[in-house]
Amino acid sequence: MRRVLWDRRGITPVLSNILLMAIAVAGMSIAITATYVITTNLRETMGERFIIEDVWFKDGEIAMYLRNTGKMPIKVAAVYVNHTAQSFTSLQLDVDSHGWLSVAYSWISDSSYQIRVVTSRGTQIVDYYRSPA
Amino acid sequence: MWTTTGLQLKRDRRGVSNIIVVVLSLVIIIAITSNVILWSYQMNQLDWERMREDMKIRNVTHVNATRSFWSVVHSEYAANIGSLIGGTYEDTQVANDGTWETFQEEAKAPRYILDANGTFIIDVSAYPVRSISTVEIQLRYRASDAGELWYLKAFNWTANGFNDSGFNYTAGHKPTKGWDEYAVNLTDQWRSYVQDEGRMLVKFCDEGNDAVKTRVDIDFLGVRVVTSGTQFTFRNEGASTAHLVSLWINNSTSHQHYDINIIVNSAETLNYTRADISLPSGQYIVRIVTDRGNSAVYLGS
Repeated sequence: MRRVLWDRRGITPVLSNILLMAIAVAGMSIAITATYVITTNLRETMGERFIIEDVWFKDGEIAMYLRNTGKMPIKVAAVYVNHTAQSFTSLQLDVDSHGWLSVAYSWISDSSYQIRVVTSRGTQIVDYYRSPA
Repeated sequence: MWTTTGLQLKRDRRGVSNIIVVVLSLVIIIAITSNVILWSYQMNQLDWERMREDMKIRNVTHVNATRSFWSVVHSEYAANIGSLIGGTYEDTQVANDGTWETFQEEAKAPRYILDANGTFIIDVSAYPVRSISTVEIQLRYRASDAGELWYLKAFNWTANGFNDSGFNYTAGHKPTKGWDEYAVNLTDQWRSYVQDEGRMLVKFCDEGNDAVKTRVDIDFLGVRVVTSGTQFTFRNEGASTAHLVSLWINNSTSHQHYDINIIVNSAETLNYTRADISLPSGQYIVRIVTDRGNSAVYLGS
């Protein structure tokens, strides 16, 4: 003990080693956290699948029946009709669940509409639907 | 070997940092592999399975009342009051076969009474509950006394007791001392008398105490289901089993959705009857959806 306290020449290499290890651990922790966050987001996005089962043109609205066929819950973030964002009822679907999504829209009979549904993670479905005559 | 490595590590402590970096890099690689590559593989498999699905709706038609085969008892009747004096339950499984089971009223001071019941199983795999519109019970019997009425009842699982509430005929049957047939229909109240797995209990009994000790021969007692409604014919032309989860009946004014749960094997053609679905007049579209997200449509009129 007295020798260690007396001989202070060993302190510098010890400190440098500890500092190096601390930097390595901190750096890798940041890298691991970033990797986890990025890959989790990627995984959630990759796991999204949903379909539009039915489109029903009602008075002043277009009702769509959505089914979540993927492995992640989804939340509808935007609906576009002919490239224009429309207001809609909020809809969140768990895995294997399904429900109506109502979009306020004054449609014209016997016309084609491009409808795009976008989820909060960016997955989208787009298709053309014809209103009844 | 380990001693040499230990000495080297002691001499060169910078190696510890290298080891930390390498180990944690491995952790990162494993995280990326498990989170992205394996998940990607799973989702690719999901998409691939979806592509291989190929469901078709072959036909959609309204079906009138179709009756199933008779379900009969497969265990001995329980004589709650009265006694079994001849034959077995097997003698009641076929009508007009020359064999029957005989019961006799029990002496209940000061009069006589008979009360017996059997267990019947409806094949709900062949006749799903949703396709059943009603249930019929038929009895062929011979009573030695024509002075009292005989009744058919079933166990009402809702009311937790035997009764004939909702039957099309509840006034009982008066025997002729010869062979008689007595049938009742459970109308739309049948669901109270049939459990989800198709089990029902049927009782035959007399109207109550009387002065004559009657002997009753039971030649046949059976139940059968009557199916009616809309029949859909599905055909799986894909290589994998399909799970149908949604059924739509659409016309110009209505889009009607029904949750379904049907498994159709590869190359299988399946008839699916629903008593609660009626087809709209005029042109309509029937659509089915699988759990993988594929659909099939049928245009009818």
